[in-house]
Amino acid sequence: MKRSWEGWLYGVSLVAVAAGSLMLAPGQANAADITITMAAPDWPPTRFMKEEFDRSFKSASGNNVKLEMDYIPWPSFYERVAASLTSGEQKYQMIVTDSQWLGSFVDGGYYKDLTEEIKKDPELTAIMNDLHPALISAYSTYPNKSPQFIKDNPFPAPDTHYYGFPQFPDTYVTFYRKDLFCNETEAKKFQESFNQKLPCTYEDWQDVDWTTYENIGKHFMRKKGDPLGDGVADDDFFGISYQAGKSYDFSTMQVNAFIWQHGGEIWDETRQPEAQAEGVVNSETNVKAFEHYLSMLQYMPPVARTGQADIFVIQDLYMQGKTATTIDWVGLGEPVLDPKTSRVHDKSAFGPAPGLRKEDGTIDRTGNIGGQPFVLTTWNSPEVDAAALEVVKWWLKPETQKKFAANGGQSGLMSVMADPEYDSLRPWNRAHKEMLDWQRDVWHVPEFFELLTQQQEEFDKAITGQITAQEALDSIARFQQQTLEDAGRIE
Amino acid sequence: MASSAVVAHEIRSEGGFLAWLLAPQRRGPLLVAPALIVLFLMNIFPLLWSFGLSFYNYSAKKRDVPDFVGLRFFERVITDPTVWERFKTTAIIVSSSVLAQLVIGFLLALLFSKQFPLRRILLMLVLTPMMLSLVAVGVFFKLFYEPTFGLVSQAVAMFTGDRFALLGTPTGAIIGVVIADAWMWSPFVMLLVLAGLVSVPKYLYEAAEIDRASAWRRFQTITFPYIKSLLLLAVLFRTIETFKLFDVVYILTEGGPGSATETIGVYVYRLAFQYFRTSQSAALAYIILFVVIVLTSLYLYAVNRRAQEVD
Repeated sequence: MKRSWEGWLYGVSLVAVAAGSLMLAPGQANAADITITMAAPDWPPTRFMKEEFDRSFKSASGNNVKLEMDYIPWPSFYERVAASLTSGEQKYQMIVTDSQWLGSFVDGGYYKDLTEEIKKDPELTAIMNDLHPALISAYSTYPNKSPQFIKDNPFPAPDTHYYGFPQFPDTYVTFYRKDLFCNETEAKKFQESFNQKLPCTYEDWQDVDWTTYENIGKHFMRKKGDPLGDGVADDDFFGISYQAGKSYDFSTMQVNAFIWQHGGEIWDETRQPEAQAEGVVNSETNVKAFEHYLSMLQYMPPVARTGQADIFVIQDLYMQGKTATTIDWVGLGEPVLDPKTSRVHDKSAFGPAPGLRKEDGTIDRTGNIGGQPFVLTTWNSPEVDAAALEVVKWWLKPETQKKFAANGGQSGLMSVMADPEYDSLRPWNRAHKEMLDWQRDVWHVPEFFELLTQQQEEFDKAITGQITAQEALDSIARFQQQTLEDAGRIE
Repeated sequence: MASSAVVAHEIRSEGGFLAWLLAPQRRGPLLVAPALIVLFLMNIFPLLWSFGLSFYNYSAKKRDVPDFVGLRFFERVITDPTVWERFKTTAIIVSSSVLAQLVIGFLLALLFSKQFPLRRILLMLVLTPMMLSLVAVGVFFKLFYEPTFGLVSQAVAMFTGDRFALLGTPTGAIIGVVIADAWMWSPFVMLLVLAGLVSVPKYLYEAAEIDRASAWRRFQTITFPYIKSLLLLAVLFRTIETFKLFDVVYILTEGGPGSATETIGVYVYRLAFQYFRTSQSAALAYIILFVVIVLTSLYLYAVNRRAQEVD
């Protein structure tokens, strides 16, 4: 009797559990745990992305989507990402990547072509149509299409493949000491010496060309104990600084600006296989442009003479109060305003980067774009791809982008930048917005690292006075011609 | 002995693979097996694999099937002027650095072979550099040479009034690398030489003193014969190590200015992990390995000679 009673109880319990499971099943069957691991450089723009994701991301699919960041220090970022991709470990579902790596990792079969996904999704299409053309050109297209082509051919442009979206669009701007540039004594001396106004306001900096910048360099070279502003220099003080470093791309980014502004060209990957390197890279215009770049190194801190004036070194020297002004990435602006890291946190202001004055009086500020896109990898399952694209949509929502811009980041969305509030979110926003229209990019082909390393080496020899600008560019042109012919990119 | 035989018999009699495996005659190989497996997986297999790769056209960046190309990459590496330039740079750095280490290490050993106050503490301090990580030494010297606020530049500026950029010229950069490497490894040479110096029997010096032999004569006929094979050991060991120099150079100058300090080690790294010319980098790495094997053979020969001398 007892046994049959127990049997009955078990039977009822089983039925109850089964019924409960059936009732719950529809909701639970759709909800899945999806973890996206993203390779990211370890710096504030990606740290903010993670914090904001944890605060505000909600998956429309109802899935439990987690974003795990694998933070990698900048100096080893490329090597670590490349090692992970080529080892086949398939660790990352999304990657923050430099735009130059697109060709290398697209050809290798690691970055996913998103053209069809974007076409199918009206929200993603709207994002593409709202992004600045310079960013789509540099961050998304491979084979690379020029900003003008993207401007003329909105998404989906013919014969164009899209891979990335802006994680952090960056441009270089001028960081300057307003306590010195707006100082009456300094302004008077500058006027006397160069018959020019010392730039103080943002509007003044809009009129600064390389000649004025060179004059600023000459003007602010001081020895320890010399008068400086309303006091005296407590150490040797230097006028200007810009990138002149051998590592990675730390002179190419600035040299390219000089080349483009002077009307020269680098090897044009958008015109393969007709575009040549020899005769273009070492053209008379390019030599003149590179000589112009080299001519101002004398007004920079002596580290420039060692070829080690990379973006972090010039930022640091500016923050330690050793230079009057520097040209550096917006992404490195936040520490400048932090009293814990900067001696000039309350004395700094920002303006557009200088450029070359044309015959009609306008200033050409063409520069090399910085920042990074983020991409999806090819081994993701359809569920992970869908979740990753949700992350893209969330990140490029105007609300998220405004929060990002208010916390030291930048937006690539034209609608966000058009908001009158945008300029006042951070002190460099206005300059960044102005500079964005002038951006172009270096090559995206898989051979980029060889081209870049050899070029950096030759630039470095010229920067350290071992060879002339002409010799450096001749060597670069020869190497590029040979390498690109071997790769079948030049006929 | 008898009890273990009984246990073994019991195990055997219980039968099965485990019993067979744990038989006394197999226990030795069994204990060594994990180490051999690790050695094979971590050293021998990658070595053979990369050697095989050097005969194929393969880039780790691409997923293409490798093509067999025979000795093409060895030929390319040997005929590449850049490789020879990097070998030349490496040879300059190796010879300068090893010479500096030898001189400084020898002088330090002479100093520390005598007894003086605070000797032990000073000896510990002198030995510290070789215990530091190479990366830490690279960063330390980079800051030391920094021309705007670095110590060297500040010191020079006190006399000349101008900042000094040691790493701004090819010669200066090589000197900078050599100083950093010599600073780190001279204590190692000192230790070896010191071991030789303390092994010289005291009565030989006492006899030489009775014979009124000069200091130079004493060194020539007593000290040097005792330490010469240790010196040779130090030279060979440091040559092999410096030949593979990478960390300090990469952090201090990244091969610059231009390519003035780019050693063969840095160049292999660029080929393998920046250009992803996997096969070519493997071929070059095996040529370097060959050079190191030749040097190691000399090193082992010196070790054997020293052992014979001691006997």
